[in-house]
Amino acid sequence: MSGLIKADASDRRLVRAAWTAAGALLAIGLLVGARTELDYRRQAARQVEVQADILAASASAALAFDDRQALREYVDGLRVNPSLASAAIYDASGRAVVTIYRERAGPPPARAGVVGTRADGRRIRVLRPVAERGERLGTVYMETAPESWADMLSRHAGLGLLTVMAFLLLSVVTAAAAQLQARAAQLILANARLREEMDARGKAEEALRQSQKMEALGQLTGGIAHDFNNLLQVVHGAFELIRRRPEDAVKVAAWSVNGLQAAERGASLTRQLLAFSRSQKLELRPFVVGGLIGDMRELLTRTLGSEIALAVDLGDGETPVLSDRTQLELAVLNLAINARDAMPEGGLLTLTTKIVSVAAGDPLLEAGEYVELSVVDTGVGMSPAVMERAFDPFFTTKGVGKGTGLGLSQVYGVARQAGGAARIAAGLGGGTVVSLFLRSSTATPEGPQAPSPQPAVLAPAEGRTVLVVDDEAPVRDLVCETLRMLGYRVLEADSGAQALAILETEAPNLMLCDFAMPVMNGAELALLARRRRPDMPIVFASGHADTAAVEAALGGQAQILRKPFNLETLAETLARLLG
Amino acid sequence: MGLAAVWLAMAADARAQEPTLELAVKATYLYKLAPFVTWPATVLGDPTAPLAICVQGVDPFGAILDRAVAGQGVGSHPIQVRRLARIDAHSGCQIAFVGGSPAQSAAQALAQVDEAAVLTVTGEAATPRDHGIVHLRLVGGKVRFSIDASQAEESGLAISSKLLALAVQVKR
Repeated sequence: MSGLIKADASDRRLVRAAWTAAGALLAIGLLVGARTELDYRRQAARQVEVQADILAASASAALAFDDRQALREYVDGLRVNPSLASAAIYDASGRAVVTIYRERAGPPPARAGVVGTRADGRRIRVLRPVAERGERLGTVYMETAPESWADMLSRHAGLGLLTVMAFLLLSVVTAAAAQLQARAAQLILANARLREEMDARGKAEEALRQSQKMEALGQLTGGIAHDFNNLLQVVHGAFELIRRRPEDAVKVAAWSVNGLQAAERGASLTRQLLAFSRSQKLELRPFVVGGLIGDMRELLTRTLGSEIALAVDLGDGETPVLSDRTQLELAVLNLAINARDAMPEGGLLTLTTKIVSVAAGDPLLEAGEYVELSVVDTGVGMSPAVMERAFDPFFTTKGVGKGTGLGLSQVYGVARQAGGAARIAAGLGGGTVVSLFLRSSTATPEGPQAPSPQPAVLAPAEGRTVLVVDDEAPVRDLVCETLRMLGYRVLEADSGAQALAILETEAPNLMLCDFAMPVMNGAELALLARRRRPDMPIVFASGHADTAAVEAALGGQAQILRKPFNLETLAETLARLLG
Repeated sequence: MGLAAVWLAMAADARAQEPTLELAVKATYLYKLAPFVTWPATVLGDPTAPLAICVQGVDPFGAILDRAVAGQGVGSHPIQVRRLARIDAHSGCQIAFVGGSPAQSAAQALAQVDEAAVLTVTGEAATPRDHGIVHLRLVGGKVRFSIDASQAEESGLAISSKLLALAVQVKR
């Protein structure tokens, strides 16, 4: 800013200097012109004097001897000079002897005046003596015709034109510079104003973002808290009933199923959160979307309730897509739930699949074949403003505690992470169409992973020892209890250090350790444990989302049990590793 | 005396013959010639030396000449009029009007100053053979002159070309 002001000041000085130069130029031009004019007149006068002297010299004898004819001849000779207006020769007594003159100029004076040169305006009058050997014989008179303005102008035209042009040029340049200067000053002002506005706007936007973030966080935490409270209510209630009526085996079994289902839904909720945070690695495998829809049909019917009819139109044949089957199931379920909420009076939900070809130049998708999965409802539809933000995380139109604002985000995340896209459009007769584009694959499709055979779970674990390392006592206790129930001998450690101490004396067949622990984490413990027991399999239990980080810390073949895990998963994993 | 009487009578005749105006003009010519003639350096060496105009023989001017030269000079030289019956190289004349007289005819007078730096002037009365370096005569009612440039050269006189240009005739 100060640099600009300085530049401005120097500009001002430049303009002033230019005006001064223009003035000086004009003054110099005038001076030179005047000087030239004076010189010219002096020279012209001198020329007339010389001419008069010549006349005086040649006329002296004729004057002395009063030879008028000769004098007339001398004077007539002067007529050829166009600049001469009149001439006369006077005798020693001052009487005019011969005169000539042009009509315009008028006759010369009748009597000789005082010798000398008089420049009067643009005419020159010269009186020169006629003398021979110092003997004054008479006087010669000459008068020039006044120089025409045109001649005078043409004499000064070159210099005048140059001066005027230079002056004009300087004026134009100076005016332009002044204009530029004014413009620059305006620009500086405008720039400063713009900067202030930008700053103010930036602050406002920052504040808005902050408030939006807080609002989103509130929505999220509120939604999650609500969902978890509901689930915890179920779990809590189930345990309460079991504690009060432990003897009723049939009821206990039913209550425990309720509790487990609630816990399972909680697990699914956290998976959804993790998928949104994109921390959870998608497991991309080829499968057929039509097959997945077929498998989900019963679940969807139950989710939608009796008021909403379900129509399925599968057109993708056997074309496999590359995606995470579980996540896609969850996405379809999310869309179905959204559709259900959009059709409180009932309606029709249509699921269609078809194969589409995307040409090069699509803003989101690479060229190639895609399977388009569309979920179409006949509900209330979305306003354009809502549609625009529908995929934004935490954006929800449901009341506080009713939705997390993550459903459609998850849908979008699944589609994008598998190299596809998700789009929302208004349905033809109202309602909403959400389409997922999933990249087709050439790999052989896989069916849903077959559940582990029941016998493996109940495989005998007699004589096998498992070292359980976890810093959180409740989790550790539960895992230990489960393992004992499965028939394993269990060693417990609440830290890496304690686990290493146990390894000094004991030789467990397997170590099951938590990944996130204070002081020494699972990976560090595993490194030290491997030195002591190189052959001992190590299984990591991790509730943390970042599978990649865990794998990077442990190396490729790490065995990871994702928390929360159920009894079957635990039993199956251990049986596999120890088998 | 008788001679003188004749001379005077002749002079009176001459005056009677020539109108006064013409004589006055001729008288002024005598000294007006001086600025256009350059004498040798030996003559008129002193800047204040008088320039002598001599009238030899019959004097047609009389007092007219004296009036004409009164107050006049040539450069720094004052003009002196001398009337002589006879002239020769040593008479001290710079300009000599040769009128001729029984005592010394015009031809004799001219012959006397033939080699001297004397500007001889003759008038209408002179016979064609007896013209001085400058011979005054009437042309169309005006007094004009002819110049004998070769004689002037012989006499050691330089005559200004301006004067020559004005002459009705120049003998070279």
